[in-house]
Amino acid sequence: MSLRVVVNHEERTVASAPLTPLSTVLREEFALTGTKEVCGEGFCGACTVLVDGAPAVSCLVPVGLVEGRRVETVESLAVGEDLSALQAAMIETDAVQCGMCFPGILMTLTGFFSERPDADEEEIRSALAGNICRCTGYEAIVEAALSIRGAGAAASAVEAAS
Amino acid sequence: MNKPVIGSDLPRRDARDKLRGRTRYTIDRGGLGMLHAAVRRSDVASARIVRVDVEPARRMPGVRAIVTADDAPGRYGLTVADHPLFAVDRIRFHGEPIAAVAAETLAQARAAADAIVVELETLPAAITMEQALAPDAPEIHPDWRDYEVLFPGGRRSGNVAWEATVERGDTDAAFARGDVTIVESCFRSGRQNQTPLEPRACVASYEDGRFFIETSTQVPWAVRDTTARLLGVRPSDVRVTVPAVGGGFGLKFEFAVEPFAALLARASGRPVRLANTRREEMQTALCRENADIRIRSAVTRDGEIVGREAVVLMDCGAYGGEQPFLTTMTAHTLGGNYRLGSVRLLSRAVYTNTAPTGAFRACNGTYNTFALERHTDEICAAIGMDPIAFRRRNVIGDKALGSTGQVFEGDVLGPMLDRMEEMTASRPSQQARADGRLYGRATVVGTWFIFVGPSAATVNLNPDGGVTLVTSGVEIGSGSMMQSLPQIVADSLGLTPQDVTIRAADTDAAGYDVGVGGGRQTVSLGVASTNACIEVKKKILRVASEMLEADPADLVLEDGHVSIVGVPEQRVSVPAVAARAQVTTGPISGSGAFTAPGTAAMPGCAAGHMLEALDLPVFAVHDCEVAVDPATGHVEVLSYTVVQDVGRAINPRAIRGQIQGGVVQGLGYALHEDVSIDAEGRIRQEGFETYRVPLAQDVLAIDCHLHEGAPSIGPLGAKGAGEVPILNVAAAVACAVSNATGKSVDTIPLTPPRVLDLLTGYDGPQEHHHIAKQWTDNCLPDDAVCVA
Ligand code: FES
Ligand code: FES
Repeated sequence: MSLRVVVNHEERTVASAPLTPLSTVLREEFALTGTKEVCGEGFCGACTVLVDGAPAVSCLVPVGLVEGRRVETVESLAVGEDLSALQAAMIETDAVQCGMCFPGILMTLTGFFSERPDADEEEIRSALAGNICRCTGYEAIVEAALSIRGAGAAASAVEAAS
Repeated sequence: MNKPVIGSDLPRRDARDKLRGRTRYTIDRGGLGMLHAAVRRSDVASARIVRVDVEPARRMPGVRAIVTADDAPGRYGLTVADHPLFAVDRIRFHGEPIAAVAAETLAQARAAADAIVVELETLPAAITMEQALAPDAPEIHPDWRDYEVLFPGGRRSGNVAWEATVERGDTDAAFARGDVTIVESCFRSGRQNQTPLEPRACVASYEDGRFFIETSTQVPWAVRDTTARLLGVRPSDVRVTVPAVGGGFGLKFEFAVEPFAALLARASGRPVRLANTRREEMQTALCRENADIRIRSAVTRDGEIVGREAVVLMDCGAYGGEQPFLTTMTAHTLGGNYRLGSVRLLSRAVYTNTAPTGAFRACNGTYNTFALERHTDEICAAIGMDPIAFRRRNVIGDKALGSTGQVFEGDVLGPMLDRMEEMTASRPSQQARADGRLYGRATVVGTWFIFVGPSAATVNLNPDGGVTLVTSGVEIGSGSMMQSLPQIVADSLGLTPQDVTIRAADTDAAGYDVGVGGGRQTVSLGVASTNACIEVKKKILRVASEMLEADPADLVLEDGHVSIVGVPEQRVSVPAVAARAQVTTGPISGSGAFTAPGTAAMPGCAAGHMLEALDLPVFAVHDCEVAVDPATGHVEVLSYTVVQDVGRAINPRAIRGQIQGGVVQGLGYALHEDVSIDAEGRIRQEGFETYRVPLAQDVLAIDCHLHEGAPSIGPLGAKGAGEVPILNVAAAVACAVSNATGKSVDTIPLTPPRVLDLLTGYDGPQEHHHIAKQWTDNCLPDDAVCVA
């Protein structure tokens, strides 16, 4: 029996075995290579996706566990050509360098803001505790996150996407 | 008039796709028919290879090709060709490649690699530099005398892979003076793993007798040349292209996975992908080298440094790699910052049975600056002088002599120290936040350089009036290809940055280039591009002069038009010029080049140096405040301030981003990125669980000032800005922790256990028994100088 997962609002059938990491299925079966597999051990956060709206490190989630659930990846954030508020804020602060960490960071923060739209700086930093960025030193990322806080923008981006 | 493009915070053109997950890095590439590869590595540090049998692996499912040392006859190196692709006869480090396999799936490739039979006979190993330099040490390269010398002039012997020296003035006399205080210190620094998020990865194919390699590298031309050398083919038979690179920091400044994939592609007739696992990256990264340093100075009561001598041992691991070259840098980093009456420095790359080390952002500079600045504070304590006053008195200024006798131009560090003082004086001290912990502060200086060197650029004017910049430049995240180069080209041709298309690196399309690293890309490619634009501009004006019936000398090129000076309404657009050129001169293009001017040392001063002097020095002043928790040994950085010499800021916001990122990497190096090697030569840290890189909660916003106006050979007076931010960080933190604790900090990283030791179990400064007290006793004899 094959597995079914709702990936970026579309019901998909998974051919891989149920124990295959979700990150591998997203990348190799669905060509959603935005999700990065950097450590494969749950420590870097680059593979973070939303599972039923909550951030999860997809390298540690066997695809069998998301049967019938909603998975959102970084590819779902922009609607058409419109970036989410968080993505646009990252451009505003010139946060991006090599870019490898951003898919995970965006998904972590998108999930986080949908729960805590008014979070303060300390809470934002602790939300990012599981995401490694080796290039930027984090400040421009935190600044971007702070700039959209409270505006309801992040939350509406999530709604728009769901 | 368009707004000026130089000095403006232009956004990155690649940000949107990177934020949408659309950018396809090398690890995201591949295609129909692609095989996956795995490398079989040694799991001991030193052994004789008795037998390698690949036949059992060949029979495994899905296997399409297996290659071993028999397939790669060459050896490579920078000064001496000591490094084969696969271990031949002998294993020299834990993780050394023995064979590589390509199979239909990655799991099949890994299973087959494991099935290769490797029979080894363990040999004695030298894991540390003490062991490698001991009189009875095992020789790691028993055949070192027979290796091909690629660059002559260094001294070599046994486990000393390379030795470079600087001697200027009469140091013996300086130390013998009656009016000097002699201060001596020993320091030790650990390795640091670059850990870019994208591992070293490539996809190789073999078509029409040529290799085609798409790879995540900083040095496409070095990959081309090294792959050819190792495989024994012509460099021109290798083409290298580079998609977006997911971070490098020096790790990708040498070949890595490419020759394995190339061999497997030729053997199988299929494209082959090889990507290192995180564990392989931790075990075999070309870490920043660990170093042991002894430094001694003779200083008068009023603070004049009349003599200085030092020995720096750099652990190059099992093969020389970049380190013989980097021994050069000691002359400019440890020998930098201050005016010295006389100086002698010895810098050695030492072989050990550990993974080879390599380049890492401000290579060699981070630990030498740490040692020099801590030593400087010890001098100040010994002669009773204020550390800032001492620095002000002694920093290199206009006409100062460098350690190799080069003459510096301009007063740069002095005014930067002034600026730092203004910045720190304008804000309240953070001491109150120490809240019962030990509070300390330090201001330190640093000398670095832009590693200039050959670059080539072509600029093509397209029929639509835009231009395409064709170079071998690589975007690794620093923004030089995405921000500064388009800005420089647009400025030269009166266009907007959006009019400038950047061709990604392709060794078949663009001329030679050293690569991205050493802060060189904006400088070397910037000048080469500017030169190409001069030719393009000349051709545009020539065609326009016919169209406008005016002398080219009376024409200006701006805002996408050529107009007659003083008669702005008499103008033609660049696209119209391009269209006209198609039918008159033919399409317009220009080429430009740049190379290092090659500043010389004072004759007889430097031996074994691949660079004798700094063509383009760069300076930095850092200040930090720390709180040290005496109960846990944890160090919190309370404030961090940077004044950086940037020459001219092409894109100030992008430079600030580099400073923030570089300082944070430096905080990891100074405080908690610990690479330790066990007695068997295995690196203990196998992933991010144990290798602690800075996280969002560990860091703070860096306050920075961009110092402009220092002399520069760079385009529009710019200097590279991405490399130098990490230079002074360990120095600043270590000096501040010393200031807080009253103890002599002589080892980094300052992990909590180490800081606790310092506070509780401190037993005086360390001694390096493998460095002779008498400087000259360390030098290899004259007959150890290698000749090509
Ligand atoms: S790849 Fe999943 S946490 Fe690192
Ligand atoms: S931008 Fe490179 S890892 Fe974050």
